[in-house]
Amino acid sequence: MGDVQDLVLHPRILTAARKAKLHRYEEVLRFSPADLERLTHLSARDVGHLVREVSEAVRHRIHAATALQLLLGDCPAELKVKFLSLGCPVLDEFLRGGVPCQGLVEISGESSAGKTQFGLQLCLTVQLPEKWGGLNAGAVYICTEDAFPSKRLAQMAQQFPTRALAPAEVTKKIRFSDQIFVEHTADKDQLSKCIQSRLPLLLERGVVKLIVIDSITALFRGEYESRETARRAKDLQSLGTQLRKVSQKYNVPVVCINQVSAVVGKRRGNGNISSSQKVIPALGLVWSSLVTTRLMVSRTEHVVQCADGSPAVVRSLEVMFSPYLPNTPSYYIVDAQGVKGLR
Amino acid sequence: MSRHVGSYPLPPYLKTKLLAGGFSTVEDLEDLKPVELSKELKISPEEALEILRVVQGVQNDASSPSSSDEAVKTALDLLQEERHQGCIITFCSALDELLGGGVPLTKITEFCGAPGVGKTQMGMQLAIDVQIPCVFGGLGGEAVYVDTEGSFMVHRLEDMAKAAVEHCRHIATVENNREQLEAMSDFTVEHILSRIHFYRVHDWVELVALINILPEFLQQHPKIRLVVMDSIAFPFRHDFEDLSLRTRLLNGLAQNCIRLADSHKAAVVLVNQMTTKMGHSGDGQAHLVPALGESWGHASTIRVLLFWEAGYRYARLYKSPTREEATVPYQVTMAGIRDVCIPNSTQDVTSDMSQEEGTSHGDHSQRKRPRVS
Repeated sequence: MGDVQDLVLHPRILTAARKAKLHRYEEVLRFSPADLERLTHLSARDVGHLVREVSEAVRHRIHAATALQLLLGDCPAELKVKFLSLGCPVLDEFLRGGVPCQGLVEISGESSAGKTQFGLQLCLTVQLPEKWGGLNAGAVYICTEDAFPSKRLAQMAQQFPTRALAPAEVTKKIRFSDQIFVEHTADKDQLSKCIQSRLPLLLERGVVKLIVIDSITALFRGEYESRETARRAKDLQSLGTQLRKVSQKYNVPVVCINQVSAVVGKRRGNGNISSSQKVIPALGLVWSSLVTTRLMVSRTEHVVQCADGSPAVVRSLEVMFSPYLPNTPSYYIVDAQGVKGLR
Repeated sequence: MSRHVGSYPLPPYLKTKLLAGGFSTVEDLEDLKPVELSKELKISPEEALEILRVVQGVQNDASSPSSSDEAVKTALDLLQEERHQGCIITFCSALDELLGGGVPLTKITEFCGAPGVGKTQMGMQLAIDVQIPCVFGGLGGEAVYVDTEGSFMVHRLEDMAKAAVEHCRHIATVENNREQLEAMSDFTVEHILSRIHFYRVHDWVELVALINILPEFLQQHPKIRLVVMDSIAFPFRHDFEDLSLRTRLLNGLAQNCIRLADSHKAAVVLVNQMTTKMGHSGDGQAHLVPALGESWGHASTIRVLLFWEAGYRYARLYKSPTREEATVPYQVTMAGIRDVCIPNSTQDVTSDMSQEEGTSHGDHSQRKRPRVS
């Protein structure tokens, strides 16, 4: 926050501002011109000058460009949106490049639908050089429910080079399991401490460019009683805002895994509704308002043959909402290598 | 005519001093020098100069006939002005009719809805549609897009711009209108994108500062006819503890928006989130209402609720000074906001509205406007 005294203004105005204890920009902007006149004993014209100069100074912090400049990449680096590959050309095409490094991406689904698999795979692809769809850095994986599935990660990491997402000489140099920082947190205070004090250390140095939280739900489902919804909403809001701030400040994707709730009320009772309608992502409207892109995964009843001959359940990946994706489903399987899209 | 000093925009403590010193009308201050006034009232010479400047300056303004002419307008003048102002179409004819031709200029229109219902899409669509060339019945304007959520995706905008260009080209070719075909050579995707001025703000301080600066920017870019704020709720909803400060800031913001819309003949489109409200009757029934509270409800002139029902998207006109409350369906396709055909009763509502539209606003050049059939 800037200091009002640094602005080029008439000394009379600066003195009045100091006397009225208006030191920082936001302290000036929080008052209406009439309030400022009363506080500073300045005339309307002087107050106008003060507000204008403060606003002008704040405007220098705001990133601006025309949409064409954004498209051509001819804009401040903060406005460029990079995408992190999912590690599968089919799914990347479906998500128009992968996971955007801007805002919160939520992957929700029933248990065993394959949510964690997406999280793990992203932790691997993020380590690839930018040319091959990664961000050339490690990842932080925050577990709140279970122990970290390290065996599964080891399996995927070992098989990862065989997926040929990047040339062998590139993948050979990366020690995939070495760059994933695992954190276990049991409650939301711990998580928020982790986000505010420990994550910045890694993010600041550029060691880490992906944050996965598996899952966000566990922290908020058990801890609250049903009459504490207001407190829960407030805590959710503050956590979501913290995550968004991290995402925006360091230009990294934040992926949150969420459980689902069964739909009760109006839509119940029809008997056979398909799986995508029976459940909705948990945590309610407050959390939804904070999510930028919401994806839903679920199992279908179909089975296909993998490349190695073993059967695999076909799962669906559906866009619930996103500012840049249509609401269409796509299908994928999970095998030893990880998540793979089906055409 | 002598005007009372109390009616001038002076700091209250100076007014008190003036009155205590026996200066109650302008005439008392006439032919007075700053030094004399400062001695008389025991104030600094600067303050005395300020008083005289304000009083005499305002007096000069008021005496010039041109400004007083401008200030007073009859209702007829306003009606005629409004008729000529036009609207920004949405590319969904049902929605346009709901709004009386589209999103009107010089007014604040608020779109509220749950996540994923298409609020951001609406903002983007309008930012493109405001640029439709005049020969197509559009406004040929430019747009300012303020993103507070980080949900603006330029690739999505490109899709929609492509579709809009394609649509206009189609109309020009079908009608074989030379003027329109000529206009098409300028109306390209690059042209559209270069006329959307994008701002990414991160908190309320930046938002308030930007709104303070925008009038100047609009003066430099007189073709801007639309300011989109997506969303107004975000900076004020999350991590915002002081609710009385919030109300105050929002009131100030609303005032600035109204001024902006009015003085620059621009439409201001605000996007708002929804919040859950428990029923008053104590039955524990929760329902969705626009966020930011009761007092914010007065800020916008027109309020449209967007919601999902049975797998379709609907828009309901919730507040409007001129149109009656109604609900119409719409859809979001790859091309943008479009009409939808549902074979049920909502269709009837739409057709009723269109008949009414035809009789009351028949003189508009709506026929020429690009429509999606």
